[in-house]
Amino acid sequence: MPHFEGLLGDEPRIIILDIGSAYTKCGLAGDTGPRCIIPSEIKNPRNQQTSKIWDYSSTDELYEHLKELLYTLISRYLLVTPKDRRVVVIESLLCPTDFRDTLARVLFKHYEVASILFAPSHLLSLMTLGTKTGLVLDVGYQESFVVPVYEGIPILKGWRTIPLASKAIHSRIKSQLLEHGTVSTPEQKHQPVASMPDILTDELLEDIKVCCCFVTEYSRGQQIQEVTMRGGHANKLPPPPPDTDYQIDGGSVLNISGRIREHTCEVLFEQDNDETSIATLLIDAIVACPIDTRKDLASNILVTGGTSMMPGFYHRLQLELSHLLKKPCYAQQLGIKKFLFHKAPAKENYTAWLGGALLGALETLPSKSLSRDVYLQKGKLSDWCCIDSDFLLEDKNNKS
Amino acid sequence: MATFATVELVKYLCTCEKKFPICRLYLCKHCLKLRCIDCVQHEVDTPYCPNCLEIMPAQEAKLKKNRCSNCFDCPVCGHTLMTRASGHISPNPEDPNKSVTKKTYYLACGFCRWNTRDINMPDQTVATGNWPMLENPHVKRINNLLENYKLMAQVEKADRERKKYVKRRSHLYLQDKFNLSPSVMKRKGLSSFSSLSLKEGDKTIEDLEPSVPVESFDPLPNDYYTQPAALEKTTRLVHRLSVPEFQPEDISKLHPINKHLIMKKSLRCRECEHNLSKSDFNPCSIKFKIQLTALHWVPEIRIMTPSTFTYNKETLVTLTMSNPSVFNTTVTLSQIENETDVDYCTAKVELPKKELVLASRDEPSMHVYEDSSQAHEFKDDPKLIVFRKGNKIGFVVKVTPVVPKGDVKICFLLKHEFRNTTVAALQSESKEPEIKWLEHKVYLCLGTI
Repeated sequence: MPHFEGLLGDEPRIIILDIGSAYTKCGLAGDTGPRCIIPSEIKNPRNQQTSKIWDYSSTDELYEHLKELLYTLISRYLLVTPKDRRVVVIESLLCPTDFRDTLARVLFKHYEVASILFAPSHLLSLMTLGTKTGLVLDVGYQESFVVPVYEGIPILKGWRTIPLASKAIHSRIKSQLLEHGTVSTPEQKHQPVASMPDILTDELLEDIKVCCCFVTEYSRGQQIQEVTMRGGHANKLPPPPPDTDYQIDGGSVLNISGRIREHTCEVLFEQDNDETSIATLLIDAIVACPIDTRKDLASNILVTGGTSMMPGFYHRLQLELSHLLKKPCYAQQLGIKKFLFHKAPAKENYTAWLGGALLGALETLPSKSLSRDVYLQKGKLSDWCCIDSDFLLEDKNNKS
Repeated sequence: MATFATVELVKYLCTCEKKFPICRLYLCKHCLKLRCIDCVQHEVDTPYCPNCLEIMPAQEAKLKKNRCSNCFDCPVCGHTLMTRASGHISPNPEDPNKSVTKKTYYLACGFCRWNTRDINMPDQTVATGNWPMLENPHVKRINNLLENYKLMAQVEKADRERKKYVKRRSHLYLQDKFNLSPSVMKRKGLSSFSSLSLKEGDKTIEDLEPSVPVESFDPLPNDYYTQPAALEKTTRLVHRLSVPEFQPEDISKLHPINKHLIMKKSLRCRECEHNLSKSDFNPCSIKFKIQLTALHWVPEIRIMTPSTFTYNKETLVTLTMSNPSVFNTTVTLSQIENETDVDYCTAKVELPKKELVLASRDEPSMHVYEDSSQAHEFKDDPKLIVFRKGNKIGFVVKVTPVVPKGDVKICFLLKHEFRNTTVAALQSESKEPEIKWLEHKVYLCLGTI
């Protein structure tokens, strides 16, 4: 019975929530892993269409969707009563203000939680390592985002982001399949995929990425980029791995050529006209930081985010970085010779969640959270980028 | 398949200004208002396993992470695993001539034919079997981190208490280091993250070993370049995400998953904090201890037959109304003043001017197939009331659409008598239960032109 929980002296466990662009991780504080990792989507019961949470056209629509998503999480996976519970919401530093506001409104007004703490994901990821300094790279769905953190404080001028992540990989797979791919149906063998583009749903592309694709090694990658980007002769391509047959519903078989398997992840490392890729992201972030901090940051790199779990990612990233160091523009600016990577005690797709779980289990949590009374009084959230926060106004009053 | 619950032609207005069919609404007896699913608080009652229907008390559920210890799901398809026995003939250790049939048990899925022998899990000798569970290899490290952070948090909390009474001179040091003003240091999160350092505190803090970074990683094995991807052996993303802490890539590493519990909910009115719906404690029972659904208290209006409409022509529409109460109920229908929802005013409706009396709901007589007409009892106007059967009447309204094309929608105010038939009220036989009049706004979609 709900009211007996408190009598036994057991504090109700705190809810830790991380709503990412593609997946939502949710669980209770003190656990070693989230209870569930579910797609950040809502299924409309009427027409069976799924709509992504982050693709919202208005805050009202977002309100309804968040309400539904939280209802599923709370009643199916967590099995808790949300009233008067504390919540830790893990968010990116770039989270739009209206998303935070709507989420706070849903949690405080509809579910009546006791308090919320919005915590930045990069800082929390470092908590899982036991260090306070590190260069945290989050390779998610929409974008890859790197934030240097020194002594527990993010170096805000050093943040860098680039829209090369899962979404880019999916669109690369789709375009390659539409160009060269073939489908064998029971009726006809080897039809081009372009004749039936509807089979390429998001889930299918994601599955192909997870099961078939991998990040190839540096030298092969360079040869591939030589051909695809700089128009080299197709003969120079290294021999691709063998083709794979992928079963789709209805007995059809999608033939995934070895080229697709190997070449799609190059999108993360190709340096286009801007000469930016995930590897340059890290180096640019280090260059933007003060000189004293650079060596520490380069020896404490942490990679999080589901896309980094692809086979061969770390090896490739490490080689790319060491080759980039030899380029004249970086060799002169940076005095560092090598990069060291950390491995968090969690899979990369829930490292930030684990940091939140560690934070949520501490007794200092109430003092850092925004309580329901204060929120209802003030009516809005304070954000790190808003200049109308109270303490800055206080500061002004103090000075004058 | 369309059931009555999915047909949403007749809607009632809830207190939150949203419209719902009557089967989705609750009536709070204390506030005497209709409540919808959003106007109520959901509370967890009792978690139970959907397979073995065993109730797990909340404390135990917390320890076991809301998983049943006896029931398992197939990691490949998600169906419930069955325990199968296989006979094992082995020679009796005492007497070499006789052979003993030992029964060993293994788990198997009836749908996709996966079983525990596929992952080389040894068969158990007991049917309830202590199936070996996977352990997260990082548990020790995480617990170590957690303990250290808890100690630091304690130190910080003690510091904070102390700082309330001591002059904050130490902020100058931080100001020089980071060039920040004292008021900024007060900001939540800033001083706490930077002060998570080991000070000479009262308690001895264990050495928190920071994680050791590595320089190089192994390249991909050559099989990736020479062999086709063995799709039958790799797990899909769905399989990996169902066990977040392990996420194996090989199907042979998938372990049976303990079944997740489901819970019974109780609903509570937000304003008066009384329970609106509370189900029976026993998971096998579908009954409710408290069930204040609107269907049991508010007369239900249904459209009897579809009608065709023409612009500006009056059509007779037959509606039925049924009385859920055990007393005879009087109902009046009236127009709504100042209707804000213009969508529902596409037709003018002429409502019956007199009060309609509905007979009480008498369970036994409802199942008697007698053709007795009660019209003479109630002296019904045959032009207004089409038929009367048990607690139901069919009455006529005249609808004139005012739009040439589109949906024909009408709305009106339904006022009915309400008698609070709680146990306490019925026990006081001296007086009749108090009659209160409730009014609800009803919105109907009758058809299209």
